This record gives sequence, structure tokens and C-alpha cells, in this order.
Amino acid sequence: MPSLLGNIFKGWADYSKGNEEGGHHDYEHMYALAIDLDLCTGCNACSTACYAENNLATVGEDKFGARQAMHWLRVERYFDEPDMDKIEETNDTDTQSRGASFLPMMCQHCNAAPCEPVCPVGATYHTVDGLNAQVYNRCIGSRYCANNCPFRVRYFNFYDNADSWPAPMDQQLNPDLSVRSKGVMEKCSMCLQRTRAARDTAKREGRELQDGDIQTACQQTCPTSAIMFGDLLDETSAISKIWKRHQVKLGVYKQDKENPELRGYRIFEELNVDTKVLYLERVREV
Amino acid sequence: MATKIDRRSFLKVLGLGGAGAALAGCDMPSYATMEEGEEQVFSYLAPEEYVVPGIGVWYASTCLQCSAGCGVHGRVREGRALKLEGNPDTAVNKGKLCQMGQAALQTHYNPDRITSPRIGGKNVTWPEALAFIKEKVTGAPVWMTGSISGHQAVLLDAHLNASGGGAHYAVETINAQAWQAACADTLGDAQPNLHIDKALCVLSFGADVLGTWVSPVKFMADYGKFRAAPRGVLTVVEPAMTLSGANADHWVAARPGSEAAVALGVAQVLASEYSVSTSALPSGAADAIVAMTPERVNALSGVDAKTLSKIAETLMSNSPSLVIGDGSYETAAAAMILNLMLGNVGATITPSAELVPADLGVRSGSTKALADFAADAQAGRIGTAFITGTNPAFTAPGGLKIEDALSKIGLKVAVAMFEDETTQLCDVVLPLASSLEDWGSHVPATGAGRGEIHVQQPLMEKLHPEVLGLGDILLGLTQDAGADGLEDFEDYYGYLRTAISAMIGADFEPEWQAVLQAGKVQAPTADRSFTANGALNFNVPETKAPPAGRLSLITTARQGLFDGRHANLPWLQEAPDQISKAVWDSWAEIHPTTAAGLGLKDGDYVTITSDSGAITTRVFLYKGVHPDAIAVPMGRGHTHYGRYATGIGVNPLNLLDGTADGRTGEFLNTTSVRVQATGDNRHLVRLMDVDQQYGRKLAATISADQLRRNQGGA
Repeated sequence: MPSLLGNIFKGWADYSKGNEEGGHHDYEHMYALAIDLDLCTGCNACSTACYAENNLATVGEDKFGARQAMHWLRVERYFDEPDMDKIEETNDTDTQSRGASFLPMMCQHCNAAPCEPVCPVGATYHTVDGLNAQVYNRCIGSRYCANNCPFRVRYFNFYDNADSWPAPMDQQLNPDLSVRSKGVMEKCSMCLQRTRAARDTAKREGRELQDGDIQTACQQTCPTSAIMFGDLLDETSAISKIWKRHQVKLGVYKQDKENPELRGYRIFEELNVDTKVLYLERVREV
Repeated sequence: MATKIDRRSFLKVLGLGGAGAALAGCDMPSYATMEEGEEQVFSYLAPEEYVVPGIGVWYASTCLQCSAGCGVHGRVREGRALKLEGNPDTAVNKGKLCQMGQAALQTHYNPDRITSPRIGGKNVTWPEALAFIKEKVTGAPVWMTGSISGHQAVLLDAHLNASGGGAHYAVETINAQAWQAACADTLGDAQPNLHIDKALCVLSFGADVLGTWVSPVKFMADYGKFRAAPRGVLTVVEPAMTLSGANADHWVAARPGSEAAVALGVAQVLASEYSVSTSALPSGAADAIVAMTPERVNALSGVDAKTLSKIAETLMSNSPSLVIGDGSYETAAAAMILNLMLGNVGATITPSAELVPADLGVRSGSTKALADFAADAQAGRIGTAFITGTNPAFTAPGGLKIEDALSKIGLKVAVAMFEDETTQLCDVVLPLASSLEDWGSHVPATGAGRGEIHVQQPLMEKLHPEVLGLGDILLGLTQDAGADGLEDFEDYYGYLRTAISAMIGADFEPEWQAVLQAGKVQAPTADRSFTANGALNFNVPETKAPPAGRLSLITTARQGLFDGRHANLPWLQEAPDQISKAVWDSWAEIHPTTAAGLGLKDGDYVTITSDSGAITTRVFLYKGVHPDAIAVPMGRGHTHYGRYATGIGVNPLNLLDGTADGRTGEFLNTTSVRVQATGDNRHLVRLMDVDQQYGRKLAATISADQLRRNQGGA
């Protein structure tokens, strides 16, 4: 029976451990992503897989134009490459001389998520899996969280989007998660329902959950295998290895890499939100 | 066994029975046994034996969203297909799927599906529709389809043979006919295996390998390996940026139609600066290379000598390479010449194995077939036409006058899932089952050489009881025409099972189940080797800057809406275009310099006029298009295609004049147009209105040199 005093001591121990050891959290798992931008072709397969898996509503042109689309995972496209422009003397500014840069952007599941403390009702919180979760039926739609998100990856249901699924399209809806109603904020959950299903399967088969058992919908479909998903607390997982190989640490706002030329980086690291999505820089032949 | 029933369990049984009776009808086990003193209670809600409530089961099938024929796994829960994923055991897509494949669910569950046979727009019964067809049929029926393969193709041939020997027109707007013709002419193998993953440099002239060309998911999977250490270099030469171009290390804008000139120019640089021999090339090639001096290349394409040298240097320093070309026969042939010069044949291009049951092979669609169809119809040579899997009234160039041609046909029968521009012009419409409701076998567009045939099985019950699978319709028509040997088959499933069992030499339940579980079956193949090549006839077009006030219109293809067939899927309408990031509408891509000359800014409406028609749409300014060109992606602009597509955007295909390639007869996708501002301007709705990162480290890039220094930690 945990006593109040016991809780306080445990909280203090965790807090001081987090201070000594950057990025420590008392989680059971710490699910994270790694995305190799050099492999990303910008084809959108991940995004459409997300629509299919997570019951995302389509909103039409007008609402899309009003920034009311519900794409939990969007693929951004940029034409400038500041670092390359410096290297390439011959960069002809009149015609495009290279392809574009694509950036799949979804909830970064920050360990110090700016969306969490501002929620007046605690509808968004961190789970023991290290995920930034949204409790739909607790959400009152204040939208403070979306305001506070530096990545703009929280999506608010300004309307009842039920007309996105005229019969029989509603039969495609994934029964493993809800269809969100008007007035509720929603976001990428790193396919929480697939994590549940993989755990149940492992339990039914009487074995431990293994690295690779859980695949997010975007990772699963990516034609070039640019997206990687796994548990950072599992030292042997592929995702831990790639974070380590690129010398990217959690719990810091500036990476101190032995080899600063390694491709791994986190977006908006300087904000100290401690994101859990590792991006690997795109490579370009000069 | 206790026979006494207390009140509580009695109520339980009653409640169960009541709910069950209401939901499940009367053919379920009854609880009458209770009266005999047994306590055995069956739930009326008990589902079929293989359905476990709450648990999704994955079944293997085949994706039919384009003709690549990827293997899929479909998640079925409580009798409904909920999600599609790639089948990891196929050589083609290795567990992966593109957005079009993901969206096959919305094709299946689409609210605008045809649910009943129709005559003249009125719902009728199947017997009425078939009686009508029987009464009105004149002459030998012909079939117009998309690319088709496997046992449906065999039955289609059987139907044509049994009913008078009519022609089969396989029509695909997005195809690789030019490449296949060039490969056949130079290697004696129209579809050699391409190994992007083994190449260190890929050079593409107008072939969108990552987006829409032949088998994009396969090529993207190979591309993933191509980019792994040692990292391959991708160079793309084309008039308007495609998805492949958007991933290129070097992107070169060439005047529309001049890609062949650039390829031959590169060949000349290889010969003159790197002493690559041209002596072993097919006759005609060496002369064409000598004639293509850098000055001439520049005059034809606008690509300068420095760029040619850079392309050549990249090819020479990254061997083996792979050169791909499409769009015109000359372009594809020039690409093959580069492959021959660079020694890629045998390294990154290997012979495909021959499918022994040759009648299962792919009937690759072409636009020439559409031209042939229109010509035959105009000449009154077609009395009855069956049309399925293609929408000629939408995709035909305006110059072809397809509506006029169709009106000359006595009886037109559409076998379709949706009302579209073509079904509007047909006399009878037969409701087609979706790819998730049907049986079939499909030879992948690239995989024919490996002999792996993908098997398609229904993932769920038909949503609409009246729809029928293509195989069933073909079998019925063929039986009706009195073909021999098909009398015993009750349905297409029986035929398919018998045919596949005969092919693998086993007709036992376990073998058949194994085929269904794997979603594929191995067909016997024979080895093939490349054969010596004959002469090549080069007729490089004299491309030049268009006269003042005119531009070259390019109709570009995108993975997504494709040739327009996916415009009725809201997921794909709302998926931002890979390049412009626009949603739910069409746009015209134009170079900023050209736009400045015409006084245009982003979002201005322009009317694009060709000899065949005019469209009005908004311009999107960016540098990924040649200054002489204006590019409009195909796919939108439907007039009859359900609630999600009708009235949205414009269709550039109708502006084409139907000029055909000399060797292959394929329509060229450019035509000369006039562009005039209408004076209106409205913001184009896009995912993002900025193209710049403004100094923030969002999508960061490093140079390949830097990567090589760190190859160990890449």
C-alpha cells in the first residue's frame, strides 16, 4: 500500500535522478521514432495509412484552407537547403537544380511536452509508455494545448465530422479506437491500439514482447522503410541503437556529439521540449 | 445434469433468445432443447466459427489500384475489411503499399458504387440486363479493358474466341510502352528486370520510377536500398518535376520532348571525353550520337554543355549505373544506348524469365489501343463493345473525338463499380464487385519474369448483393457463347481453383489453402537470354522554344489520383499533392520567369487553350518546370464520377491533340497551348504556403561528401 510519504519520497527520487541523468523518466517503455529523411520520397503513403488506421476525418477544400484538416501525419515539402546552398557555388537560382526536401511531421511525443501543463482538465498527459496521450472524453476543447505546441501537430474538431463517412464508408472505421466528436482535440498516438494488440498477441502466445512486434501504421507501409519505431528503454532495440549511433541524447537542449557530422538531429531541440522523434538529415550529392 | 431452472437463468435465456432472434433471423440453433430438460444454450449472437469478436485476422489478396499488382494483407474483423497492408512475402512490394493501395478501402466502401444493373440509367434485374444484351448484340463483341493478366485474361480471350473473334483493346494512359518497345528492339526482352538497388547511379529521362512508372512500390523499396551505403546518386532529366525528380540529387529541366536529345548528348560526351566505345551499338545509334553535339543539344533542349559533362561524370564515377527513359520511343531508345555503352546490361538490367503458361501474361495497356478502338469504332467496325477498368471518355485526348466514336457503336456495355464519363455513354451498365470482394489471379507488372502470380481472394462478403466479379461475368458470357470445356464451372472461383490446382499439379485442400494463405502461386518459368539487336531508327524531334504567347502543355501523372481513377477517394483528394501540396483542386505549374512575362502571380486563374479545347485553372509558380512549359497534373476534372470527384478541378487530357509517337503509336503528352489570364485570383488551398525553412533546422541536408566521411556511422 503506497503511503503519501512513500509517494513523496519516490517522486523526489525520480526527480533527482532525472536531474543527474538527463532524460530519465520513470516509464515502463519509452516509445520513439527515427525517420531517415534521405530515404523519404515524400510519397504520402504514411499519411494515408494513418487516415485508414486512426479514423481520421476528411474535411474538404474550405476547411482544409482554414487549417482544420485532421492529418495527424503530414508530409511537408521544402525547396531551400540552407547548408547546401553554401556548399554549391553553381547553384542556379533561376531553375531548380535539385529535388525537394520532404519532412514527415507528426506529434513528437515530447518528454517535456508544452501541451501537457496547460491543459485545464488534464486531458493530455504522459503515459507510462512514454507517450503523449489525449483523453478524448476528458477534453473540453480549450485548445490551449494546440496553441502551445511548437510543431502544430494537434488537431481540433471544429465540426462534427461524421459526414466524412457516409454509409457504407463508416464500415471501414477501426473499432479499436473512437471517432472523435466536435469540440475535442486529437493527435498522433503512435498507434496506441496497435501496441495494445501486439501486447495481447504476445500474452496469448505466452511470450515476451519483442522489438519489432509493434509497428505503427506509417512505419509499416513506408515503401522505402524510412520510418523506425521502438522502445528506447530496451537497450537492444533497433531504435535505441540508431539513437546511440547518431549520438543523440534525451534530456538535453543541445547535443554534445563526439562526431558532429553524424546525421541525427531533433527538431526545435533548443526549445528543451525533449522530443522523441529522431530525424536523420537528407543527403545530397553536390 | 441439473434439470431445474431457476428464475435468474430463465430470464437470462429469454433475454438472450429475444435479442438473438431479433438480430440473427431464424436459421440459428434454437433453444427448444431447453424444454426437453437440456441446459445447453447457444447464443443467437454466436458468429461463424472463424470469427473471433474483437480479433482482427489478416487475409492475403492482391491490390488492383494500378496495374503493378502488389500483394496485400487485409485485416478483417467481424466480417469487415478494415485495413490493408503490403504482403511481406511478395517479391514485388515486400510488405509495403503506396497511398493508392491504402485507399483501396475507400474504393470498396465508396458510397457512390453501382449496386444494380442499369439500362439507360434505370435499375433493372440481371436477367433483364442479360436479355437486353442478347437482343441488341450485333457483330463480334470487343472488349476494352485496362492492363489485364491472369485467369481473367484467359477467360476474356475465351469469350472473344467463342463469340466471333472480336478484338481486345487494353488501354492505359500511364504506361511504359515506349520503354518496352526500346527494350524489345535492343535486348529482345520487352520487360527486363531492373535492379535499382544494385546501381550506384540512376539516370532517368522522364520515367517517374518512384511515382507512377510500372511498379512504383517495388522501385521505391529498391530505392531504399539504393540510398544505403554506398549511397547511389539519382539524376533526373524531365520538363516538369515528378516525384522521382523531387528526390533527385541533380535535377535538369529539359524542353518538353527533348529528353532524347539530352540522352544522346550525354552519350557523345561519354564517347568523346571518356573514350567509351560506340562500336558495339545497334546500327543507327552511333550516327545519332555523332550528330548530337553539345551545341545542338543546347538548341533543342536548353541544357548546356556543362550540365551534360556533369551527368556524364556522375555516370562514369558511379558504376554500375542504370539509365531509364520513357515518354517517347526515342527517349527510351537513347536511354538503352547509354545502358549498352556503360555496360549496365547484364549488371543492373538482367533478362526476365519467361512465363511458361504464356496466356496468363500481362496484356499491357497502351494509348495506341485507345486510338485503334476509336478508329475502328468510327469506321463502323465495332458492333458491340464491353468496357471495364478504363474510362476512355475521361482520358482520351480531345483530338480523338471519343464520344463521337462511341456513338457509332450499336451496343456498349460497361462493367463498372462507379458511374463515370464512359458509363454515361453506355447502354447497359453491369455492377462490378470491388477488388476486396472478388477472386482473381494477377501477374505483377514487373514480376512476370519471376513467375510469381498473385492470387486475389475476397476479404469480405459483397457489400451489395447484386454486384458480380469480373471473372464471374466473363465466365457467364463465355459459357453463354458456347465455349467448350467451361460448362462444368458454376462460378469463377471453381474455375480459378481448378486452373491453379492444375498448374501446381495438386488439387488437395491443404495445397489450395496454402496458396490462399500465401496470396501467391509460383508458375513455371523458362530462362531467357538477351538477343542481339537490330537497327535503331532515331528520329529526334526538332524541339524549339514555342512562339510568343504559346507554351507546351504537359499532362503530368501523380501517385494519388493517377489517371483520374482515384479522384473519387476522399483520402486521396485530401492528401496534399507531393510537389505543390495542393488539395481538392487542380492547378497549373509555371516557371516564375514565364509567369512574370505573362504578368501572372500565384493563384491567378488562366485559360489554357489548345486546338481541342480549353480549361481554366489557377497557376502555381515554381522553378521545377521548364520555362517553355505549363504543367497540369491529370486526375481531376470529372463531370460524372460521384460526389467526391464531380466538378472538382480540370482535366488536361482533353486538351491533347492526339499526336502519336512514330514507333509505338502512343500519344505524346504535350501539345501547344495559349495561356491567358482571366483576371481572377483565388488562393490555392495547400498544406503549406511556404517553400522555405527560414533558417530553422526542419528538413536538414548534408552533402554526400560529409556522409562519406562518416560512412561508418551512417
